[in-house]
Amino acid sequence: MLKMTHLSKVYRTEVVETYALRDFNIDVKEGEFVAVTGPSGSGKTTFLTIAGLLETFSGGEYHLDGIEVSNLNDNARSKIRNEKIGFIFQAFNLIPDLSVFDNIEVPLRYRGMKSAERKQRIMDSLERVGLASRAKHYPAELSGGQQQRVAIARALAGSPRLLLADEPTGNLDTQMARGVMELLEEIHRDGATIVMVTHDPELAARAQRNVHIIDGQVVDLAEEPRFHTHAGAGASQGQL
Amino acid sequence: MSLQIKPILVALRRHKAGTLLIALQIALTLAIVCNALFIIHQRLANLSQRSGVDEADVFVITNQWAVDKSTQQIDAQVQADMAALRQLPSVRDAAPASGYPLAGVGSDNFVTLTPDQVKPTTDSAVYVGDEHLLDTLGLRLIAGRNFRSDEVLMTSTQQAVFPPVVIVSKTLADRLFPGGSALGKSFYAMSATPTTIIGIVDSLHRQGTSQWNKPYAGQSLIWPGRPDDSRGIYYIVRARPGQLASAMRAAPKALFAQDRMRIIDPKDGLLDYAQIRHRAYDSDRGMAILMGIISAVLLAITAAGIVGLTSFWVGQRRKQIGVRRALGATRNNILHYFLTENLLIGLAGVIVGAVLAIGINLWMVTRFEMDRMSLLYVGVGILALLLLGQGAVFAPALRASRVSPVEATRSV
Repeated sequence: MLKMTHLSKVYRTEVVETYALRDFNIDVKEGEFVAVTGPSGSGKTTFLTIAGLLETFSGGEYHLDGIEVSNLNDNARSKIRNEKIGFIFQAFNLIPDLSVFDNIEVPLRYRGMKSAERKQRIMDSLERVGLASRAKHYPAELSGGQQQRVAIARALAGSPRLLLADEPTGNLDTQMARGVMELLEEIHRDGATIVMVTHDPELAARAQRNVHIIDGQVVDLAEEPRFHTHAGAGASQGQL
Repeated sequence: MSLQIKPILVALRRHKAGTLLIALQIALTLAIVCNALFIIHQRLANLSQRSGVDEADVFVITNQWAVDKSTQQIDAQVQADMAALRQLPSVRDAAPASGYPLAGVGSDNFVTLTPDQVKPTTDSAVYVGDEHLLDTLGLRLIAGRNFRSDEVLMTSTQQAVFPPVVIVSKTLADRLFPGGSALGKSFYAMSATPTTIIGIVDSLHRQGTSQWNKPYAGQSLIWPGRPDDSRGIYYIVRARPGQLASAMRAAPKALFAQDRMRIIDPKDGLLDYAQIRHRAYDSDRGMAILMGIISAVLLAITAAGIVGLTSFWVGQRRKQIGVRRALGATRNNILHYFLTENLLIGLAGVIVGAVLAIGINLWMVTRFEMDRMSLLYVGVGILALLLLGQGAVFAPALRASRVSPVEATRSV
């Protein structure tokens, strides 16, 4: 489903090049629930933005659902994001001007879906996250947990091949976080492929498989301490 | 583009202040610009109105007497001056006159068809001139005859009794006697004695320019006479083709050779028709320029307002744009979003603006006797404002479309 081989991401300035990911390899099979962990600055978010085609990469290969994505233009990347990927962000990222219904409708409209089908999908996904009665509410009228459920409904409505979650419970209290996590597990049981970035060991433990990143590379947890406690490990740098 | 209209409208409802401000600005701009364009067009149309005069070869000398003269002395001097002017090799003809088209000021009179008529039939400009005036002004006689020399008497426009014969413009003839039957007919010019039409010229407009766009602007009559105004008299001179400049140099010299006791103002005592036309339409031109500047400034302010607000909205919604991109919006989707948003605000503005524009015009029609504005101006104004809006919003919209989808993952 998601396969990165020798992938690298370099941020260059005039005097320095910084490797956010270096010789990065990962293979996520269809139907897997993978938690990506690592200390701050290790490259977790960079991995997620590249996996979600939000950013390009510098070298290596990335196959998403069998498609080599490195040479795709902006429109093609937008289309893949729209049709194959569902995003769940830490900050929910709902559009405050739009109602719950309209928020979920956004990606479906970009797909050019007919109104009746959009409505059906929106209501189905809201039912699934238990918020069908809040369709006309605005994000500001919902709790954090409810907003994240709406964001999950928005991600599910398009029937994506891959769900990418970036610290999905990072902005929630324990009770709400538990609810959201249970929802993700339920979605996974229904067959979804989920890649979740988190620094919460408890959440990571509930995933099917854990991938640990340090200094922009996947490391074998058998050789490293399971959870790093040092903050700001930083990416590796090399002088030009 | 249409697929985004509903969510854009929903989002705009939550940004009422900025939306209403821009829509109102567009409405006011449309209302003012439509009326300004209408006024500009009217004034420019005035500038190109035909006077009826052969303007290429005609010039006017405003001759004032430096000493008091009796009317007999004035008449004798005028006849001597005319003889001197007509003898110049560069001059085709010359005539004394009480006024001339585009002079700005001049006489007019109410006209009736019966002597006891209380309400006048119409109004006519009145020119006093001799049998040379038609040829001097280059007027084309389309019916009847010119004055005979014995019909031309020393007279005054202030005199209460109108002369027995007149030459009228075709416009006046048709107004008084529709159907082309005016020649030989009589009318009354606020006088108990009738005046008979002995000739009709194809075109002769009134002296003033303020009402040249009115149907009665071409209603004029020529009264046979040699003006004897002690303050001064206009000498109309027609140069031979191509000799206007030399005639204008020779004519004052010839007059001063006749009698030095006269004043020809160096500033405006000797004017060719290009100068006369320029002076006559000074206020029209000025008004057109002023309206043009006001329109341009208003349009610029509106465009700047749209650019400013959209830039602000783009900055404010940077994260939201990133989220939309992450959810699958292409750059074109984002560009169209902002163009459509502006179009919807613009449409609201121009609908209100069109009503305002028509309202302002109707108010000016009743208050200042202006003409009704054609709806074409409103149509053109609407199109111009919508295009201006789309043009103004394009640069910030393009900036918005370049927001990276990775913005969605940034914390602020």
